[in-house]
Amino acid sequence: MNGAPVLSVKELTVRSKDRTLLDRISIDFDSASLTAVIGPSGCGKTTFVRALNRMSEITPGLRVGGRVEYLGQNIYDPKVDPVLVRRRIGMVFQRPTVFPLSVFENAAFGLRLVHASEEETDRAVTDALQRAGLWEEVKGDLDRSALSLSGGQQQRLCIARALAVQPKVLLLDEPCSALDPGATQRVETTIERLKKEIVLILVTHNVGQAARVSDRVAFLHSGRLIEVGTTADILERPREALTEQFITGRFG
Amino acid sequence: MAVASVGGLGSENLLREGGLALQWRIGFDKWIGRLLPLLYVVALLPIADMIYWIAVHALPTLTWATLTDTSVTNTHSLAVPIVGTFYIMVVATVVAVLLGLFGGIATAEFLPESVAGYARTAANLLAGTPSVVIGYFGYFAFVLYFGWGLNLIAGAVTLAFFMLPYLFRTVDLAYTSVPRAIREAAYGQGARPTQYLLRVATPIAFPQVLNGVFLAMAIGVGETAPLFLTLQQGILIPTGLFQPASFLTGQIWENYTQPQGSGGLALAFQAAFILLIVVLGLNLVVRLISGRFRKRLEGLFQ
Repeated sequence: MNGAPVLSVKELTVRSKDRTLLDRISIDFDSASLTAVIGPSGCGKTTFVRALNRMSEITPGLRVGGRVEYLGQNIYDPKVDPVLVRRRIGMVFQRPTVFPLSVFENAAFGLRLVHASEEETDRAVTDALQRAGLWEEVKGDLDRSALSLSGGQQQRLCIARALAVQPKVLLLDEPCSALDPGATQRVETTIERLKKEIVLILVTHNVGQAARVSDRVAFLHSGRLIEVGTTADILERPREALTEQFITGRFG
Repeated sequence: MAVASVGGLGSENLLREGGLALQWRIGFDKWIGRLLPLLYVVALLPIADMIYWIAVHALPTLTWATLTDTSVTNTHSLAVPIVGTFYIMVVATVVAVLLGLFGGIATAEFLPESVAGYARTAANLLAGTPSVVIGYFGYFAFVLYFGWGLNLIAGAVTLAFFMLPYLFRTVDLAYTSVPRAIREAAYGQGARPTQYLLRVATPIAFPQVLNGVFLAMAIGVGETAPLFLTLQQGILIPTGLFQPASFLTGQIWENYTQPQGSGGLALAFQAAFILLIVVLGLNLVVRLISGRFRKRLEGLFQ
């Protein structure tokens, strides 16, 4: 890396039919970092991460403007295939979304899509399950149904599924919002280990979680990026009044 | 302070006795609880009576030869219509499943919502069309316009159009009821639409689709009018698609009006009995499939 950001967002605007969901957002994401995106409900956090791998196009009716550069390439270039974008920029959702397949086949899903060889798939699945912190719990029986796992295990399997194709960027959209405290803690441990390897962008409504795991915090409000800075700066010495009001719990 | 009535707002009396309104309420609930199961029995009675009536007329003279003797001279055999019905159902099911599967999947996954709405309305309209009208459609389209004549293929394809809306709706429903989160996860992982369909949606939708196939067969096998108008009844087992074929519902219609003592009435009831068993069997298969797959997909639909 020559110091260039892995992901560079420039003047990103997202509009629905009748309103602006995101208004000219610019932010860079460097390699091996964890940025928490916080803000009140409806501020555009989820819209923001979904625009970073063109998942926004799955919902019809959204128009995206501006640029999102992945390794210098604008992912909104008309020549870019959105499917290939999603294969390089992974995503984990609010609720665990395992497929009704075995643990192994869930983790191998992305590799099957690109017809990876059996040895390659075996190696990548093992590696991904280890990185996601699930290996020790499932290594005895990789053929069991993924639906038989607990919610927290399912969510780590979803992280493993995203990691198996070795993305440089992983988008996490409130990955712990459906989990109990114990499961949340294990997912956070996984996230903290991963942030030393790849770019993580974590959407959370939970300021405590941002404080525990992130290096950097971006605060969104009404579709605008109010401020971004190191976690300590934003949470302890916010420059903007809106940020302070949010993190001290006066709204949101 | 006003005295609260027993069981009313603010009343601290927890006993079941006292207060006419409360007594009446408890009694009413008890009798409703007894009356509703009784109505369920009333609904079952006609079915039980029908099964009994058919069995009483069909069983005494039902022999193995009735089911298996294919010789033309045996007028008390249903073997030819049994085989004919089987052939017709195979062709009709294949055609209906192909059309229903493509139509249902296209509606659920590929058509824009506004167009999909029209497709669903069209399917509902087709499902509500009297079978005799479907028969006329088949007669004019396949028998006359395409010039196929009155034969197995014309009958089976017409019957397929009668079965189509049931299949279409089940397939559409099966694919649209794949949880949105699962769909997004597949696309988020970089699945192309066909990959999503084959690797994720189909395994989830499959049991429901299979149920739809068997239910459509159960509906189709008992249908008479579409076949009457498009298919000439033969006395031989058909050896090709463009030949006449006889079928069980047709046998019921023809034999029911035969003179007393000719054995026609018994034959009609025997044909009805066989159809009853087939429909019952198809419904049992549906129950079996549902139960098996529900276990496998447990926890997916939350």
